Order: sequence, then C-alpha cells, then structure tokens
Amino acid sequence: MYRVDITADLNDEDETGYLWTFLDEARDPGQITPGALVVAGDEDIAAVCQVVDLAPAGDGTIVHLRLLPGLVDDYRQLVERALAS
Amino acid sequence: MADGRIEQRLRLRAEPPLSKATVLVRGGPDTQDKLARHARRTARAWSLDGQPLLGVSVFAVLDISLDELLSARFATYRMIHLPAAARLRDRGFELLPTGLRPHYTVRLRRADSVELDELLAALGPPVANVQYARSTIWREEGRDVPRRHHRRPQ
Repeated sequence: MYRVDITADLNDEDETGYLWTFLDEARDPGQITPGALVVAGDEDIAAVCQVVDLAPAGDGTIVHLRLLPGLVDDYRQLVERALAS
Repeated sequence: MADGRIEQRLRLRAEPPLSKATVLVRGGPDTQDKLARHARRTARAWSLDGQPLLGVSVFAVLDISLDELLSARFATYRMIHLPAAARLRDRGFELLPTGLRPHYTVRLRRADSVELDELLAALGPPVANVQYARSTIWREEGRDVPRRHHRRPQ
C-alpha cells in the first residue's frame, strides 16, 4: 500500500513521451515543481518519477513526469545504504 | 485547444490499424473503479472531434519485443493485461494511435458500468509480469538502465 505524492495512471503517456497527470491530484501541489522527485501512482502501483514540466490542459494543469527506473523499494534500499554508518 | 482540452484528432499518428494479433500491454490489475477514474482523467485533458475523450492507455508490442517493452515501461507492475488487439476491437473498442508510437488510447463511449465491465473482459485476466523489477536503479548485481521504448521502426 503506497501513499503517493501525486495520483496517476502509470500507463498514461502523451505526445511528449512522458507520463502525465493533473496537478490537483497531488497531495501538496506546491511540491510539484520541475526537477522534483515524487512518488506517483496509486495505493497499489507506484513509481519514483521526476517532474519535467507543467502545462495547462482542460480545466487544470497537467504535470509531465519522467518515469525513473527501479521500484520504490529500490530507492529505499539505496538511501539506507547511503546513510548506513 | 477548445475548452482547454487538447484536441487529439490532428495529433493521431498516421499509421495503419493494428493487426488482430498485435499484443497490447496495460499495467494492472485493473478494476472498474480504476478504469473509470483513468478514463475520466483522459476526458478532462483530451478531446476528440471537440468532445471529451474517454479513454485508457495501452501500449502495442511493435518494433521491439514484448520483453523489451515490459522491461522498459512496465517493470513497476507485478501484473499486466495482455489482450490481443482483436479482443478489444471485437467488443467495439476503438484503438486510437495517440502520443508516441507504440502508445494507444482505448476509446470508451460512456464509461458506465456496462462498458467498463466489457472493457475489463476485453483486457482479460491479469498475468504475472516476467519483467517485474527487472529495471533497477542499481543493485548489488548491477544492471543497465533499459533503453527507451520509443524505438523507431527498423
């Protein structure tokens, strides 16, 4: 069970080749800025992504996300290795 | 961009229809609720011929192998749906070549419970993704970051 920063369908992609979702699906839209690392997806499937850009679409703002390789758990292990004393 | 939605008609790729046997990939497992949510998100952002476009994303196995596509794009999914294009078309779902090849949007007309049940049936039961967790940032054994999946046709 994941608590994601921004809800998204990780299958989605547009003509940019990036994953996309709406900014107002973020828990804290203020954290969604270009370059930021976020966890996107839903309670079942999540991935670490990097925010690429934001663009208006429909009645809101679309966020483009670069899907980064690896599982969320890989990143946890990476951080634990880096911080191990 | 009438009403702010991104009109897709002129953005559709000029490609022949997928063959009946072309395998499609959608990370899952899907539920009626999830499909409804995702279809509504698409309709909020995109339009087709001036009308909100209800749809969900799939990828076709084109230009690269299924394993390459799964490794490059679906490694976070334990389970995937792998219907043939004919399973969707035979149930009346249009496959729109949106975004970059090999991405497609499965078009829904109403996204009501009847149609969503039909879509779930067309997607078929989820199966284990043999490439799950095969794309890693770094592990003790080391693996390369996969190539992008948007390979041009040979």
